[in-house]
This record gives sequence, C-alpha cells and structure tokens, in this order.
Amino acid sequence: MLKTTLLGSSKISLLAAVMCCRLAPAQSSLSVASKIVASANGFLSTLDEGQRSKVLFEFNDAAQRMKWSNLPTTMVPRAGLKMGDLSGEQRKAAMELLAAMLSNRGYEKVLAIVEGDEVLKGASSGRGSPMFGRDLYYISILGRPSATDPWMLQFGGHHLALNITMVGREGILTPSHTAAQPAKYTVDGKTVRPLGAENDKAFALINALDEGQRKQAILNYKVADLVLGPGQDGKTIQPEGIKASAMNASQQAMLLDLVGEWAGIVHEQAAAVRMAEIKANLSGTWFAWSGPTTNGMPAYYRIQGPTLVIEYAPQPLGGDPTMHIHTIYRDPTNDYGKKSVGH
Amino acid sequence: MIRRMGACALLALCLIGRASGHRLDEYLQATLIGVTRDSIDVEIQLTPGVAMLPVLMAVIDQDRDGKISSEEERAYVGRVARDVELRVDGVPVPLSLIASNFPPLEAMRQGLGTIGIKLRATRSGHELRFENRHLPQVSAYLVNCLAAPPHGLVVSDRLVVSRQKRDEAQRSIEFEYSFDAATVPGPRTAWIALGQFWPAAIAMLLVARMGVLIYSAKHDKRASKPLRVNSL
Repeated sequence: MLKTTLLGSSKISLLAAVMCCRLAPAQSSLSVASKIVASANGFLSTLDEGQRSKVLFEFNDAAQRMKWSNLPTTMVPRAGLKMGDLSGEQRKAAMELLAAMLSNRGYEKVLAIVEGDEVLKGASSGRGSPMFGRDLYYISILGRPSATDPWMLQFGGHHLALNITMVGREGILTPSHTAAQPAKYTVDGKTVRPLGAENDKAFALINALDEGQRKQAILNYKVADLVLGPGQDGKTIQPEGIKASAMNASQQAMLLDLVGEWAGIVHEQAAAVRMAEIKANLSGTWFAWSGPTTNGMPAYYRIQGPTLVIEYAPQPLGGDPTMHIHTIYRDPTNDYGKKSVGH
Repeated sequence: MIRRMGACALLALCLIGRASGHRLDEYLQATLIGVTRDSIDVEIQLTPGVAMLPVLMAVIDQDRDGKISSEEERAYVGRVARDVELRVDGVPVPLSLIASNFPPLEAMRQGLGTIGIKLRATRSGHELRFENRHLPQVSAYLVNCLAAPPHGLVVSDRLVVSRQKRDEAQRSIEFEYSFDAATVPGPRTAWIALGQFWPAAIAMLLVARMGVLIYSAKHDKRASKPLRVNSL
C-alpha cells in the first residue's frame, strides 16, 4: 500500500512490475550490473533532449556530486530532474532504475522516507508553496551508465540523499543520508516507521551490553546533531565508545545486523561485499551512545570503523525528537567511490 | 539583554510552523580540532536556527541597520575568537584567525546559513583543552578532534589521541595526543601508542633471551672443561 501511495493511485501496475523485478532470483554480479545499466538506459530513453541535458552530468563534476542535503529542495536547490516534472512513464522508469540499484528492503526504506515527507506536506499544508512531498525529489546521473566504467546515480530531496557510485560490479552507497519526519505514521491503518529498525536494533544492542560494557559505550555528554552530516565530506573524527572487540559474539552479531540497515540499502550483491568488508574490520569498529537506554526515548549513537561511519541523531525540532531522525552513512576511505575509481 | 533576546526568539518561534524540518531555536556551534606536529587548527561552524537570527543580529548588527557589514563581520569573528579558549599542556595559547566566511543574510533567515571561522595556534604539545563560551544561553554545541587533519598527513605522522573528556553540553573538550610510536608520546599515552608493536617487541625479547641462554650454555661448557682438567 505504501508503494501504491508513493507512486500515485494510477501506478499500481508499475508497483507490481517494480516489485516483480525485485523478487527475481539472485543473478551474477555482472548481470546485476548489466541489468542496472539497462534500467538506466531505459529511463534515459524516456526523456527528451532537454530533460537528458538536465539529468546528465560529467562523472567528475565535483560540485554536483556534493550537491545534497538533509534540507528541503526549496531551501537547498538540487540539480537534475524533479520527480514532479516527469510524466507517468518517465517516473515509472526512474523508480525502476532506483529499484534495480537497491535491495528490496532498501527500496522499501526509501519509499517510506519519501512517503513520510508527503505526510509532512499534509501536516504543513496551507503555508504557501509546498516545501515537502514526493514530487520534490530529484534524480541525476553523473557519467554514462556502464557495466565497466564508473558512473553515479543521485536520488534525493528532503531527508534523503542517495549517492550510488557504480564501478563495474561494485555499488558504493556512501555517503548517503537517510532521515524521517515523522518517524512514525500510518497509511490505511498500517503503522510505518522508515527508520524503525535502526532505532529498535540499536536499543536492543545497548541493552544487550553488560554494565561494564555500557559504561564504555555511553558517552557522558549530549550530542545535538550529526557530526559528519551533509557538508562534512573528507573528515573523520576520533572514535569513542566501546570497541567491538570488547563485545561477545552475540553482541557483535547484533552490531553487524544494525550496520546492515545502512549497508543493506544497496542491491544485495554489493551489500554482501560491503558487509564482508565491515565484518573484516569489526575488531577496529566502535559503538558510542548518548542518551537514555529505554526504547522510545531519544538517543544518539555512532558506529565508527576503519571504513565506516554511521550516525543516528534524533532532532529536537518540531516537538518530539523521536519523531524526527537524521542519519548519515559514510566510508571515509571510499566516499563517492574515490578508492574504487581512484579520483 | 539575554531576556530581550529570549523574547525575540519566542516571538520568532510563534511565527514559524512546527514542521519546518530544520533547526529552529538553537544556535548550533560545531567545532572540529585538527592537531598536527606544528600547529592546532580550530574550525568552528556556527549555524543559527531560524528563530535565533533576531538574537544573533542583536549581537552582530551593531548599527541596527538590518544588514551585516564587513566591519560587523570582523567584529563578530573577533568576539567568537575571544569567547573560545585553547590550552596546550595547561598553558593558554593565542589563536590566530586564518579564515572566516559569512553566508548571505537571506540564507540565515531561512536557517541555512553557516558562519565559518578557522583559527590556528602554532604551539603544539601533548595535552589539549578547548572551551567555547560563546552565547551559551541559546546554543547547542558539538566538539570533536579530527582523526587526521583534512588535508592528510604522511603515515609517520599518525595522530594518537586518548583520554577524551567533555562536559555534558560539549562546550569543552580535553584530550592527550601524540604522533605515532616512534616520536615522543604524551605522558600517559606512550603505552597505548606502542600497542600495535607489542607482539613484535615480545618476540624480539624472546629471541634475545634465547640467544643469551645459548651463549651462556656454550660459554659454561667451554669454561667447565678446563676446570675439570684442572681438578683432575
């Protein structure tokens, strides 16, 4: 139902088509890359010349690469094509491309975030031109879709920035920003929590630590916001908290499962490679917590390893901080695929 | 003054919808500290929420003309620089202004503008303490030490930081630091810095010990023969 709402009531067949694509059996890495390229070219073929010139950028366009934000697109303009300006067929093709590049759960998460913004639009209607909603998300492509040469897809708007760099079989999702406001809403009586797993798994982990471990993990100070959020590319801070090497096997598994909420957004094969890398570096990975440990209360946490930074930060804006969450997902060694591409 | 600022902020909050989706009623002051062998860089990013702009303008806009002139920018940057304190090995260290930038006023009206200030101290040591005392009534703070300076350093300059401490509001931070194991480490960080070399160090000690034992055994054997001859 969520997908139906996001795509519009006339897009039920599209949803079915998209989800059928996602339910296809696992294929080889090469065929996944080829399928993504085919989806990208399919999307481009629906555009006219003017639209293509708007959506395509040079792969080395550093300014465009960094043009993402947590803020609404009316405040921080994005380049590329606005979803609200696309025809039904073009929008369907854009969503199919996104679905091809993401895992099932990653795609669901993205849809839930976008739909949450539509809910926010409803809550703030009547205050001039809309700042929120599913029509205000942008898509852009850097480079030319290729199964061998590097290229990049950007999809984002308010509370969402996906930067997916494709380098042959690799799919690099960092840096990416996921967020939610409201963090909980209902669609046709069903409760949707776009970042609910990120919240619940973290609370489960902090409560799975013993007293001594919690003492290491819990910071003695408040964290008001993301430290390495939008605009903080290329920076890494000193890690804090408890090292995963001080956790038992069960706790380490919970930590990896939590990390998977971000690493698993990209399509399954790229996610498996990424998770293997994170697991290999687990002993050098830290988990830090700030705030109460009772689920339902606002708490900040950070997971930081040699190739990983994740932050989860409730925002004290608009009332209840647990209803407004910002997160960031980075790889300080490979944001925008800099290690894989060599730029 | 602060009471008047608070009244302005409350008024502004009343005029703003709850669902604006970005920082409203706080002045976020985020500081990143980059330590190198020769200097310490302090980069402060100040982002006023929409409701905070009247408060901030009361501080910056000295002539009350509704604009921020270059002189007013410089005066404000100077005030921030005076409101922060850096101590190295317990000694206050002067911070020089390296760069600053102001966003357009319109951007700040929308809660998007970030004022950037970069300060530098040329003295380095082993223990650092930083404190930000700028507009504490209306601010939220973040302060962190960078793992490596933004422009990177060679591997031998790897920064080792330990014993990070902050106050609850993150207005202050203190930590110890050193550069790699080969250099002179901080008073309590030497053992930490050696961490990754322990296995090699232990192996070398064992090899050396074995060498001594073998040498001693041979020496004793040789030495004992003439003794025996002599004793016969």
